[in-house]
Amino acid sequence: MTAQETTALCGHCGLPVGRRGTRQTIDQEEHAFCCYGCSLAFQVRRGNHAEADSTWLLIRLGVGAFLAMNIKLFSLLIYTGTFEEADAHLLPFVHVLLWALATPMLVILGWPFARDAWQEGRRGQLTSNTLMTLGVAAAYVYSSLAVVQGGGQVYFDTVALLLVLFTLGRLLEANARARAVRDLAPMLEAERLWATRLRPDGTEERVRVRDVLPGMRLRVRPGERIPVDGVVLEGCSHADESILTGEPTPVSKKPGSAGLSGSINQEGHLTLEATVSGTASHWARICRTVRLALAQRSPTQRLTDRVAGIFVPIVLVLAAVAVFYWMAHVPFETALFTGLAVLVVACPCALGLAAPLATTLGIGRLIQYGVLVRGAEVMERLPRIKVVAFDKTGTLTVGKVRLRSIESDGIGADELLCRIAGLEQGSEHPLARATLQAARERSLAPVAVSDIRAIPGRGVIGQCGDEVIAAGTGALAKDLEWQIPPTLVTRLSRLEASGQTIVHVGWNGRLRGILAFEDEVLGEAAETVRQLQRQGLHCVLLTGDLPAAAARVADSVGIDSWNARLSPDQKREAVERLTSQWGPVLMVGDGLNDGPVLASASVGVAVGSATDLARETADITLPRHGLQLLPWTLTWGKRVRRTVGTNLMWAFGYNGIALVMAAVGYLSPIWAAAIMAGSSLLVIGNSMRLESFSPGVPSTCAQPKDEDAEPSGAGGTRYPLAGRRTPSADAVAPVAAGGRGSR
Amino acid sequence: MRDIAVVQLMVIFVAGMAGSFHCVGMCGGFACALGRAPGDDRLATTIRHLLYNTGRVVSYGFLGALAGILGGTLLVADGQGGVAIVGQRVLATMAGVLMIVMALQLLGYLQRLHAPASGFIGHSVTGSLREVLRAPGLPAPLAFGVFNGFLPCPLVYAFVALAAATADPIHGALLMLAFGLGTFPAMLITGGMGTWLQYRWRRRGVRLAGLFILVLGVITLARGTLPMDFHGHDHLHTPGTVLQEVHRH
Repeated sequence: MTAQETTALCGHCGLPVGRRGTRQTIDQEEHAFCCYGCSLAFQVRRGNHAEADSTWLLIRLGVGAFLAMNIKLFSLLIYTGTFEEADAHLLPFVHVLLWALATPMLVILGWPFARDAWQEGRRGQLTSNTLMTLGVAAAYVYSSLAVVQGGGQVYFDTVALLLVLFTLGRLLEANARARAVRDLAPMLEAERLWATRLRPDGTEERVRVRDVLPGMRLRVRPGERIPVDGVVLEGCSHADESILTGEPTPVSKKPGSAGLSGSINQEGHLTLEATVSGTASHWARICRTVRLALAQRSPTQRLTDRVAGIFVPIVLVLAAVAVFYWMAHVPFETALFTGLAVLVVACPCALGLAAPLATTLGIGRLIQYGVLVRGAEVMERLPRIKVVAFDKTGTLTVGKVRLRSIESDGIGADELLCRIAGLEQGSEHPLARATLQAARERSLAPVAVSDIRAIPGRGVIGQCGDEVIAAGTGALAKDLEWQIPPTLVTRLSRLEASGQTIVHVGWNGRLRGILAFEDEVLGEAAETVRQLQRQGLHCVLLTGDLPAAAARVADSVGIDSWNARLSPDQKREAVERLTSQWGPVLMVGDGLNDGPVLASASVGVAVGSATDLARETADITLPRHGLQLLPWTLTWGKRVRRTVGTNLMWAFGYNGIALVMAAVGYLSPIWAAAIMAGSSLLVIGNSMRLESFSPGVPSTCAQPKDEDAEPSGAGGTRYPLAGRRTPSADAVAPVAAGGRGSR
Repeated sequence: MRDIAVVQLMVIFVAGMAGSFHCVGMCGGFACALGRAPGDDRLATTIRHLLYNTGRVVSYGFLGALAGILGGTLLVADGQGGVAIVGQRVLATMAGVLMIVMALQLLGYLQRLHAPASGFIGHSVTGSLREVLRAPGLPAPLAFGVFNGFLPCPLVYAFVALAAATADPIHGALLMLAFGLGTFPAMLITGGMGTWLQYRWRRRGVRLAGLFILVLGVITLARGTLPMDFHGHDHLHTPGTVLQEVHRH
């Protein structure tokens, strides 16, 4: 068996196929199925495409059930003594009738189980199909012999009902599974879907998404998914991009806007020109990641599969032992049926379902909010996390510096800003850009400055009128031997201590003003940290920035332990130290330049859109602005783990008890089959409870609308600059307040 | 054979006939959809519909046997008849309420209750069943009838409850078979001959059927809810005996 086969997903329910899966070619397309039930349900549901197949299957089931019910009704007559005494001579005829009814039924319903059991047997595997086939065959052969010999009991009704129960049970189970993982369906079928291509002559044609090439024009109707990434040529509509970005608010689309593959077109018709091929779109890439994530088997799953693998031979031995033991005490047929009950009740279906179903549901639910998890194993590591380590820039902060305040002496703040804007015009330095932005926001025109020179690592100097004006670091001020006016001394030291980045501005040998910049802390950061701490997690900040800046951010979000001035290597060491000190560490970064650090953590989380997937190496990708989803993701991980735990306890406990009951002769084979199916359905039901669990998913991740909008909620309101105003109103001016109203 | 009251089975048979006016509304759609055999061969059409109805009736019989077994395990618990009487009363009450609801629907009331009852099974199943309907060959109508027998229907539930109250699989199966056979003629006619009855006559038939089931329902309900002394008996009652009394009156 190849590796590819073991990582395939079931064509019907979307769960990993596993080692016991089967492959079938339906409609010239190869499909993998995790069990007989799924292939059955798949064919029944296909309806439109493979009518003959699906219908034939149902007809077989119906005719089989008809025969089975007749067998049961006649058998009831036998059991209630109808053919005793006067009518006893009829009994052999009734037996032959039952035999005649049971034989076609065995062929119709029993064949798929026998075929699978045979194929698995040839690969050296013993599965529930083996148990099932053996049990039914034993009952049938025994009863047939009784008919031929013309004496003894017949048990064709057991044969019949077992087959019907098994077939129906498998079908119901497969449907329940498919319903359980239906959230994931759009994530699994990207390339298999159809797109409407607009030919150059204006006619339409249906093509597979995987056959779409760049430059093709595609028509997207309301309610359809945009099949590949492209540019809107015609039409106005909105698109729901939540599956990619986690933002449920629809985004407006008009000619020229980018259409994101995987998003759902809402009310209008759109014509789109594909910019990538169908297999290279964001959506297709996400789908591949999700498929890989689902197909990856978690340690728990590998363990349960191994257990299930040795379980079947043990059951076979147990059944044989039961038959031999009871033969000495009760009539042979009672002993045989005890063995049969053991075989039937021990089908390890629930066991095989316990871990993958809950994990898949877990991953599927997270994806709905734009949280991309890279594997079942990650889901299992999540609940063990003890420490959450944050990177600073771009994770807890916006990642863009802004001019926070201006302190000046002997000159108005606006005038000062005009001069510096003139000085820094054309510079690409982040601080320069922030200064120019601030000037623009206040509608200030830069003063003309000539002879501008940059002094690397220090600042910039230029000629403004007849004055030499300079702006830069404290070192530059020292080099130029500027005098520091007494009014600025205390403010300067206060600002330096606050961790903000300071730019000194002066001319004529004197410091005239101070510009303080800072990278704004994300609005949701403090709340996120608080929730994590409430979950009992230890939060730390690891940054390459200066200690003062680290302290400022840590303080404002409520983190009490931080490490500053760390190189990427030192960050990795810090994570390792935290791991040995506290336990598994979850590291949150922006995923762009902290790849090694994320990889060294137990779980690496990157904050960024799922559309930036290609760059990410993280275990989990949160959507842009999705930091507040982190506590929920962790709670969710715990919840999924708990569900897997209860599923396993249930599957082991229930099957174990039922097995013992069957072995001591308390269970008839029919009840055993019913209990077995019930056990699987209970595991499914327990896992489905996950669907209703949604512990306050933050609704605020639904804000930014256009591509270049800045993170929301970080407006001036959070930093009430008015409150920071010093008595000398002319010297201290609020800068950023209201400045973010551009949206 | 055991002493199962033939009279009772006849009452049930008539109830089935009356009830089949309801079936014509719900299952009749299916029966009509089963349509005629290719080439409009009358014999083939009749065989198709016979098979369909046979499948349906066998399903009913099986349901009755199951209900009887279930009733037997649940009701004859203490051997004294104490639990049995309570259980049978509960079942009779259920059956009575269901019959009254059905009857009121036949008489034109409670129409809104109709939708949830028929939408009980997933659309995917009914959708796939439609494909079975169109399939050629003899097994298809038989299979379809079998599935149809398990489709949820309040009237069937009412008689299944009665079958459970018999606490005996054979008795339960016979009861349901009698009911199924009662529905046989109307369904066969609806399916095979389409609009056989004139609308006005159908309306009258439906009203009459409604009244009959209403009376049956009220009596069954009374048997389930009124104190024992009211009837002047103290032995174990089955709703079947109720029906016998109905017949005597």
